[in-house]
Amino acid sequence: MTAARFKNSVRAMYAPIASILLTLALGFLLVMAITDDPLQAYRDLLFANFDSLGSFALFLNRATPLTLIALGVIFSFRAGIFNVGGEGQLYAGAIAATVIGVTFAGLPAIVLLPLALMGGILAGAFLGWVPGVLKVRLAVDEVVTTLMLNIIVLLFTSYLSNQVIRDTKSYGAVSEMVPEKIWLPALPGVPGATSGIVVAVLLAFATWVVLFRTVWGAQLRASGTNLRFANAVGIPADQRIIVAMLIAGGLGGLAGVLYVLGIGHRFEQNFSPEYGLVGLTCALLARIHPIGALATAIFYAMMINGSAYMQISTDVPRSLVDLLTGLLVLLMTARLATPKTRS
Amino acid sequence: MTNADHILRLSGISKSFGEKVALKHVDLDVRRGEVHVICGENGAGKSTLMNILAGIHQPTAGTLILNGREVVISDPIEASRLGIGMVHQHFALVPSMSVSENVFLGRNLRKWGVFADKAAMVARTRELIARYNFRLDPEATVGTLSVGQRQRVEILKALAFNAELLILDEPTAVLTPPEVDELIGVIAGLREMGRTILFITHKLREVKAVSDRVTVIRHGESVATHETGSVSEADIARDMVGRNVFLVGRGNEQARRPFGPTVLKLSNVSMTDSAGRLLLKNISLEVRAGEILGIAGVDGNGQTELSEAIAGLREIQAGFIELGGRTITEASVPERQSAGMGFVPEDRLDRGLSKTMSVAENLAVSNYRRAGLKRGGYVDQDRLEAFAAEKIREYDIRGAVPESPVSTLSGGNMQKVVIARELYRDPDLLVVCQPTRGVDVGASEFIYARIMAAADRGRAVLLISSELSEIFALSDRIGVMYSGQLLRIIERKDADEVIVGALMNGSLEAAA
Repeated sequence: MTAARFKNSVRAMYAPIASILLTLALGFLLVMAITDDPLQAYRDLLFANFDSLGSFALFLNRATPLTLIALGVIFSFRAGIFNVGGEGQLYAGAIAATVIGVTFAGLPAIVLLPLALMGGILAGAFLGWVPGVLKVRLAVDEVVTTLMLNIIVLLFTSYLSNQVIRDTKSYGAVSEMVPEKIWLPALPGVPGATSGIVVAVLLAFATWVVLFRTVWGAQLRASGTNLRFANAVGIPADQRIIVAMLIAGGLGGLAGVLYVLGIGHRFEQNFSPEYGLVGLTCALLARIHPIGALATAIFYAMMINGSAYMQISTDVPRSLVDLLTGLLVLLMTARLATPKTRS
Repeated sequence: MTNADHILRLSGISKSFGEKVALKHVDLDVRRGEVHVICGENGAGKSTLMNILAGIHQPTAGTLILNGREVVISDPIEASRLGIGMVHQHFALVPSMSVSENVFLGRNLRKWGVFADKAAMVARTRELIARYNFRLDPEATVGTLSVGQRQRVEILKALAFNAELLILDEPTAVLTPPEVDELIGVIAGLREMGRTILFITHKLREVKAVSDRVTVIRHGESVATHETGSVSEADIARDMVGRNVFLVGRGNEQARRPFGPTVLKLSNVSMTDSAGRLLLKNISLEVRAGEILGIAGVDGNGQTELSEAIAGLREIQAGFIELGGRTITEASVPERQSAGMGFVPEDRLDRGLSKTMSVAENLAVSNYRRAGLKRGGYVDQDRLEAFAAEKIREYDIRGAVPESPVSTLSGGNMQKVVIARELYRDPDLLVVCQPTRGVDVGASEFIYARIMAAADRGRAVLLISSELSEIFALSDRIGVMYSGQLLRIIERKDADEVIVGALMNGSLEAAA
């Protein structure tokens, strides 16, 4: 790797890191106004995640779906599709894996696990495929279709978990457990943490390779940045876009599968605290760069998880995170706009 | 002539967007009650000038004097307050509302200060329609109107608020010929009522038909103002296109070696748009190996459609296209590429490049396999970089490093990226459109040399350009397009600016 190329990769990290630091600095001023012990609040917000293995495990469990959804968003955005369907794709993957796991509980793990995995990924991919095809063939606006599909999937999964696969012995709208034999092992050394995080990290690097080191990725980005150009130089852009949406949906679906198999072990209605939306934010903050998105997803998971500890130990409400999110988005977009005003 | 006779006077108006200079010291004076045409090729700066008058852009330098007073038109509302009404090329109408509602949109007449007074608006609109003899129904829904009628609604909008000076930006671009005639009648009527009209167009016939005076703008500069009656269409065309010094070209005397076999052949190619209007009409042409066929014409006469039909980006409804003896009428872009086609599109930022991708990726995009830049599906980064570095050297692409985004380059260097990519395959046929539009002289010379070198290697070149000097400098034969037709193809030695200029205006007789 030449120096220039290395510098480029590092530069991709500048933007999120600088904005995060600035956000934290501004947020600190705010916390100072609220509480007598701002240092304690900030320590909890960021580092309580590392106080115990249990907290650390919870933090990793939040980082996993965020990373995967962000990666999916990156695939679709790089192909020029504004896919806001992460939440629906997540739920589709989760419910498919659960239904398969519960229905075929009798099958041996070696068959059932791949079946549940593939089922979840395909369910998510299907949700990506529909808006992709509609966009390419009929120019239907993908923001509308992905948003609408979110609602459809949320309501449909809610129906399934309430009426069809509900565990009547449990409180709340949850499905029956998937058989223990297909649960993912915990991350070695961190009980309670899903090993899905390993998958997420590996996929972040794989995404980078696919997008920036293959001809296919170059064609995908060409289609996403200038469709008319892609057509003129003979790239099968429509096909690239549809496949990108399949992958995007598949990654969202995988996030759902890993949640069920590694964390929840069953489908819980409304299990996601808006992972779809937050994952989208992570991807945008990282300027749709996969390695950057891994960093922003980890940071977000830290804040979301840490805010609970912060609220317990100080009088700073956990909604501070929402405020910091707003600040962060503001700073990142401000940064994005500067080159435009110069030109 | 005193100031009182002038409604508007511009002196030394300049405007740049970043490094791009759109207007350079433009002078313009408009007399009260005249129809004044601003004429120039696409990209000459006409629309920028009008947007300055409409308050959309602010000039970088120069003064605007309206009714004898220096004014600053800070925004469109101010423009309207000063009595300047603008009718844009693309209408700003609400299709689901009625004519009168559109006319008063955002400025509703009110009843008791609160409610929109529909009746009053309809009455007032009817009165306006009657006064200007517009033939419109004030209560008709705009969505049901024809394009010509919608345009009259736009004009009405400007008139309803007493615009003294009415600016029409390329009003005929969207109209059918009978609608154009009707518009010309409307304009004559408005002039009789004492309105002053600024009319922007690049169509010469309209200049003669509507105007009292004409100002020609070329490359952002005001070239000349004429009394329309005292100049011919050909004079205006010369001003528009410019009698630039020819860049080093093939010259017109060279005894051309015999050309090779036919490489590109079009037989009776026709294309219509979705509304059924004919964009290309029965075009037949042949380009032989070693030959440069130049297609001249004022922009918008079908050249874009022709190039995209050949490149495989638009479907044709009739006719055949053959490349190297094989029919490619239905072939995909990659199939045409492997059949030996290279394509330099007319607008590099539209179809030629991805601005945000790197110089290397833009150079390689259709050449990965041929240049041996991939191993399996992976891009060999070292080879990609070496390939790009070599092209940057070979084509003297200044200021470029392989990793930098194409958007960091100047127009001429961007164009070199496109040319380098398309010539890498050494295609049997090079379709090259507006190769030096917005390109500085140095880069233009370089690009000309490459195009001529390709022809000298025995490649066929189809050169489409609205820059006459370019056509004359490079072509072996010259064809002229006018409203979707290829009027005539003449040998370079038989062609001069008078003939080609006349053909560009569509007048076959003058050229006979």
